[in-house]
Amino acid sequence: MQATETICIKPSITEVFSTASGAVYQCDKDNCWYIDFAGKVNRFDYRCLHKLRKAVYHIDVEALLLNPKRSADMEIVFICACDHTYILTTLEIIALKELLQGTFTMLELNHIIYDRLHRLAV
Amino acid sequence: MKDIMRIKCLISTEMESLLNQQIRKEAQSSSIYLAMASWCDRNGFDGSSVYFFKQAEEERQHQLRFFKYVLDMGATAISPDVSGIKIEYNSFREVFEDALDQEISVTQSIKNIAALCHKEQDYVTMEFLNWFLKEQREEEHKARRALELFEVIGEEGTGRWQIDKHVGDIKYDSEA
Ligand SMILES: [Fe+2]
Ligand SMILES: [Fe+2]
Repeated sequence: MQATETICIKPSITEVFSTASGAVYQCDKDNCWYIDFAGKVNRFDYRCLHKLRKAVYHIDVEALLLNPKRSADMEIVFICACDHTYILTTLEIIALKELLQGTFTMLELNHIIYDRLHRLAV
Repeated sequence: MKDIMRIKCLISTEMESLLNQQIRKEAQSSSIYLAMASWCDRNGFDGSSVYFFKQAEEERQHQLRFFKYVLDMGATAISPDVSGIKIEYNSFREVFEDALDQEISVTQSIKNIAALCHKEQDYVTMEFLNWFLKEQREEEHKARRALELFEVIGEEGTGRWQIDKHVGDIKYDSEA
């Protein structure tokens, strides 16, 4: 007789935020995030996610749009000591910015919920 | 969903950037005091020069105190670039007027951080900040007293020489 095994896998990956152009997932097991954007899925740890945010927020989209001298509509988002580099069009930058803004808002919200509910002394 | 951000770092990103601004501010203070020490030395005010050298050193310690706190909390401390430090002063008195101005602006920016602590209920940073609030009391008091010497002693005759002699004696020892 064969025993039927039930394997219970606690889902450790949660969608943090998504837009029409991409999504960000959090992995509780590995304390990291997966960013599904521009046709690839990249893994980011805490430091790298912060660096990505800083890099993307720093791009002056308005200046890109108004600059007539730009020959190619391409911007390289390079993150120091991180495996991933994005080469993006201005529209993609706007989309990535939106995705990250939403993501950090959700993470902030999650933090508030944790603070107010889970961390109360019982 | 786990609160990974909180696991990695105790302070908020807003707090982190404000504390980094303060790190720059303390570094700026240190450089300004060093410039003042230089001016006083060049113009024959030895007592004041020593006084400002000491102040410059203290500000450097303040900078490091903030710097280490930011790192200890799991955030990123940024080594600041300081530029545009004034080299020349129009008068001996102007040096002390600028010193008080600088201390007042430091107090203001620390109050700003305290306000954010209350807004975020970040009592950990607030507790850390208390030392600085008390320190500013002393710093402003000393700067104000130094400037008052110009009124009390007067700049006429050997006045400036007298002032320079007494700057080093200024003390603040409040038990409160
Ligand atoms: Fe200071
Ligand atoms: Fe000071």
